[in-house]
Amino acid sequence: MNRNVQLLWNGLIPENPIFRLALSMCPAVAVTTSVQNGLMLGLAVIFVQVFSSCTVAIFKSFIHPRIRIPAYVIVIALWVTVIDMILPVISPEVYKQVELFVKLIVVFAIIISRLELFASKEPLIPSFFDGLGMGIGFLFGLCLIGAIREFFGTGQLFGFDILGFNPLLIMVLPAGGFFVIGFIMAIFNWIEYKLTGKIPTSGGAH
Amino acid sequence: MKEIFKITMSLTAVCIAASLILGFVYAKTDHARKLNEERTEQKTIQGLLGFGSDEKAPDDLKIFPVYRYVITSPQGETSLGYVLPLKGDKVVLVELDLSGKPVRVIPIDASISSLADQANRDNIINGALPKGSKSVWAQTIFVADRGGKRLSYVVPGVIQGFKTFIKLMVSLTPDFTVSGVAVTYSEEDPGLGAEIQKDFFRNQFVGKTLDLIKKLSVVKEPLPADYALSLDPVKAKQKGLTAEQVKEIKTKHLNDDIYALTGATISSRALTKGVVNTVQKFVKRLEILDEAIRKEQLSIAF
Repeated sequence: MNRNVQLLWNGLIPENPIFRLALSMCPAVAVTTSVQNGLMLGLAVIFVQVFSSCTVAIFKSFIHPRIRIPAYVIVIALWVTVIDMILPVISPEVYKQVELFVKLIVVFAIIISRLELFASKEPLIPSFFDGLGMGIGFLFGLCLIGAIREFFGTGQLFGFDILGFNPLLIMVLPAGGFFVIGFIMAIFNWIEYKLTGKIPTSGGAH
Repeated sequence: MKEIFKITMSLTAVCIAASLILGFVYAKTDHARKLNEERTEQKTIQGLLGFGSDEKAPDDLKIFPVYRYVITSPQGETSLGYVLPLKGDKVVLVELDLSGKPVRVIPIDASISSLADQANRDNIINGALPKGSKSVWAQTIFVADRGGKRLSYVVPGVIQGFKTFIKLMVSLTPDFTVSGVAVTYSEEDPGLGAEIQKDFFRNQFVGKTLDLIKKLSVVKEPLPADYALSLDPVKAKQKGLTAEQVKEIKTKHLNDDIYALTGATISSRALTKGVVNTVQKFVKRLEILDEAIRKEQLSIAF
């Protein structure tokens, strides 16, 4: 398989930021009360991740290795702020929807971990695809959690009434987020165990 | 030792590069963003008055801004200045002392529409005041007028939310019943505090009279299902509720307190407090202002 395609696939399932790397769990629990929320935050993360990865990949030789972490934080904050300033001009309607989510992104663990682990070592093109893959993986994870919580918590999907009643109110409460993520993570681990025969090692949550 | 200089230089360079980019983007987008914000503000006001995409505003509807300034005289005394539109597109500045007595009325040589830009307005107001006085803009109230009768007031307010400020707008009928609440700016958490912007929460304030507002509080109880349905116009339509049924449910729950959002009590309390404070302050100020207008016999536009 082409390496770039493999990087994309890698971010989506084998190294999914939420279910496999267990990074950026706070937004994954807090925001995913509906698919809509998950989708908006996921889109915002894709943009910031791709732009930050590319910037770091291009300028990595100028950044002194001992100050790379603060430099990465500045790069992420820069892109978040730029998007926060440009988006209301380009499309006020879209901005109104994602305004709250964009400002949360500066402190996401997944973005800085991809800069540190990938973009600081690899050239521009793979970094772009790694960033895109991770962003899509994050979007996929948020939407999946959001869909399950919205469906069971409020009986709706995308705000449309499907069941007409609330089967499990706990799902929209923060505790429900932990349950859903825990179960999906268990399914991912179970699949890996079935495929490789090895018991998966746990990742450190952030 | 040389290493530390290199590190310092490198980090400084990163910061300078980032700030230059930010400065450039800000300079490029600032004007357009302000225009968009003004447009959004106008839209919010129209929406609060009940005119939106489905119902166009009538031609004889006029929205007049009233600017409130805090004036400090050369002797250090504080007074309030209201910029009021008069009939015939004239503008006056009414200065009131803190007890509400009119001090002086200063005619302003500008049309009310030319005062919309804040920097321009500040200059004109400062120029009209006696030498040595300083004025600071405090608030803009909007008065909707239709055919010479006051239709409603739209009052902006601000309150401390969960993380930063919540900016809100309350529209009131002439007898100070809340007819709408809008959140114009907030950074509450999505899925939790941000739910204060949803119809089913904001609409709980609608219909509350001044007496009810004065003793309004927040209860941590689940929102009754029929009430929740009647507060959300989209859902009420889906369920096939008629306008009379919606009205009946709303009347039944009119005396209820505000039902807090699940998992966002602080945000719910903040918005409630914001609405209560905004309304109470406005009612007091308007009383004083109307009294002054009567005393000075001004023929204001609304």
